[in-house]
Amino acid sequence: MTRLKTRWVIFGGLFLMITLSYLLNVRFESVASPEVQKSYTYIEDLPEGSVIMVSFDHEASSLPEIQPLALVVLRHAFKNNLKIIGVSLFAEGTAIGYRLLSQTASEFDKRYGTDYVFLGFKPQQISAILGMGESIRHVFPEDYLGTPTDEIPVMHGIVNYDQVEMVVSITDGALTVHWIEYVGSQYHQQVMAALTAAMITTYDPYLASGQLFSVVGGLKGAAEYENLLGQPGGGNRGMLAQTSAHLYVIVLIIIGNILYFRDRKRGKE
Amino acid sequence: MPCQENFLLISVSFAVFIIIMSSRLKAPLYLLLLLTWEVSSVYASESGAEVRWFDPATLPTLVLSIIAIAVVLYTIRLVQSGRKLSIREIPGLKAVEEAVGRATEMGSPILYTPGWGGDIQRPTTIASMNILSSVAEKTAHYDCRLIYPTHDPVIMAVAQEVVKEAHAKAGHLDRYRADDIFYISSSQFGYAAAVDGFISRTKPASVFLLGTFEAESLILAETANSIGAIQIAGTDSTIQLAFFIVACDYTLIGEELFAASGYLSQNSMILSSVKAQDILKIFIGLFIVIAVIWATLDPSSTWWSF
Amino acid sequence: MQQRLPIAVCFIAGVLMFLQYFSPHPVARAVFVTINDYWQIIFAFTLLVGIAAFVKTNLKQISRGKDTPYRLIGLAGLVLMPVLALIGGIKIDSPFQWAFENMLAPMQATVFSLLAFFVASASFRGFRARNAQAVILLAAALVVLIGRVPITEMISETFPKITFWVQNYPSMAARRGILIGIGLGSMTTALRVILGIERTYLRGE
Repeated sequence: MTRLKTRWVIFGGLFLMITLSYLLNVRFESVASPEVQKSYTYIEDLPEGSVIMVSFDHEASSLPEIQPLALVVLRHAFKNNLKIIGVSLFAEGTAIGYRLLSQTASEFDKRYGTDYVFLGFKPQQISAILGMGESIRHVFPEDYLGTPTDEIPVMHGIVNYDQVEMVVSITDGALTVHWIEYVGSQYHQQVMAALTAAMITTYDPYLASGQLFSVVGGLKGAAEYENLLGQPGGGNRGMLAQTSAHLYVIVLIIIGNILYFRDRKRGKE
Repeated sequence: MPCQENFLLISVSFAVFIIIMSSRLKAPLYLLLLLTWEVSSVYASESGAEVRWFDPATLPTLVLSIIAIAVVLYTIRLVQSGRKLSIREIPGLKAVEEAVGRATEMGSPILYTPGWGGDIQRPTTIASMNILSSVAEKTAHYDCRLIYPTHDPVIMAVAQEVVKEAHAKAGHLDRYRADDIFYISSSQFGYAAAVDGFISRTKPASVFLLGTFEAESLILAETANSIGAIQIAGTDSTIQLAFFIVACDYTLIGEELFAASGYLSQNSMILSSVKAQDILKIFIGLFIVIAVIWATLDPSSTWWSF
Repeated sequence: MQQRLPIAVCFIAGVLMFLQYFSPHPVARAVFVTINDYWQIIFAFTLLVGIAAFVKTNLKQISRGKDTPYRLIGLAGLVLMPVLALIGGIKIDSPFQWAFENMLAPMQATVFSLLAFFVASASFRGFRARNAQAVILLAAALVVLIGRVPITEMISETFPKITFWVQNYPSMAARRGILIGIGLGSMTTALRVILGIERTYLRGE
């Protein structure tokens, strides 16, 4: 089989597996991993009215994986009547973050300005992260809609990270490393990450050392969190597709090795 | 005074002594030390309030930084005294000549891209620029087309200057094409899609993926693999390194990317900092071994925790 | 002077930012905040450079008749999005938000999804038991793949535990080693830039 044909067979097979998976409505019971449990417990135990900062540090490309993660964390926070300050350190995360916040807030009858605010996007991530350690108002003098930060009720009494209980970084890349390295070390602010599965191993060293508080990782992490919250969503929906894709890759690896040993044997003969 | 602070203060004093003794600026440094001491004591006494110039919690970081700087200055001094330094063979960098030669023989261009993840201030991007300079000099010499798409306009501007200088150094400024170094898009997958399309259409014989990459790494590497290009890759992301190792012919792992500029240019000053890296790694390795043994024998100890 | 001034600025800025990290003093904080602000302003201007470079490159290629329809669409997008934002605003139901969510986001997600297919083909090609190291790599990959799906958790709790062990011990040890090397390399490169030994950012020297 030529190289090109092999690729088409592999790609076609994967496409079929995932399409069929989404057509079937099968739900898996995912047992919460220790990290997801830790994240859930922390937010669950926060007193009502506590302020958390949610940073949408991701691109539009990872929306299918990020959206279930973001929604489940926001839903949990709004359900427990926490106040949310939304920011974005990636340009594309801005519009998405604003929509997700607004969409989730409307589910819980939360009011913009009183229960949550979206401050918008700031370029130069490290500069913005460090600047907020001194004064959030200085970095964001206005919110995303152009209202002066001083006039927003939820921002009253919020100066910097000292008044924020937790920073939740929703990310598909390495930007959370800046939160950990600058905010965690310099301002001793706790950081939680909700991130795509591909990035989990990047943050394992920080988790092990305690620099990162906890992680909700990938569609599986979202599914586990949704089960804890009792609200199945996109995470659970994607589990069958993820399972079938993983099994497909395992089968491909086995077939690849069988072909390799067969060709090696023929070569020797 | 706790044992930890004693140990740190002694280390700080020793490191400062090393810096002063290894530096030509002895007089100004002594003056600076004196001034710092005066300012800190004057400010504390005048204001009455607890406003310090120095945060004691950052002392471990300061000590380690001073030790690292001291080691770098020591290796610079070593090189200045005439000592010759050498770097072991790095297969990925040895293959640069082979990659350029292959492209020249096939009459195909070379594609070099620094990835989407970094901007010019990132050390990885600077390391990539050093390798670009060397590759550009070779392509100028062989009259091979070098295409450099990037996601950042500042990187584009710097790369244009780097390639132009390399062509001038090779004595072939006429072969320099500014249009071959261009900005695509700051969007990750806009950039990845454009580079992919470029690879599929122009079919470069050699592809260099050196810099900070994120999710687009495997997309670029697999596309280059599909057209049969020889690939040399290197990045500071451990995740993307795994993809590159599977998909590319040669991969620069870890600090091999940073050692590249010294390896290719054989510049003694750059080699000195590579030597400093090795010395610091030995210190770190020894520290880890001592800390592991100590923590195993005395699990309640915390002196090694900063 | 052309060479010395940027090197001097680089040295002073590097030393200042290094020293401010250790100081809680209001003077140090003020210096830090000011430099941070300058950094953001400079970055904003580099976006203008990007726009100018994008327009220049595309217009040049259009004048040569190369890929004209695609380049015109690219330029139209560059103009259209800010116009939509200025005219219709950026709220939830604005045309800007609609264009972003129904055009840009799906296009980005589509290209990202290519990764899944490429991972499959790379796995088929790359995970061959050629030698002892390749066998270890293959075994680790299979363990992690099996342990990360819910169906295997339902079969046995051991699979996720083995996956956790592989990810958090041998894999993390190797990653930490590489990270230490990368960290040292970054530090020495940054130090070379501050001390003026590394001048790549200045006309390629």
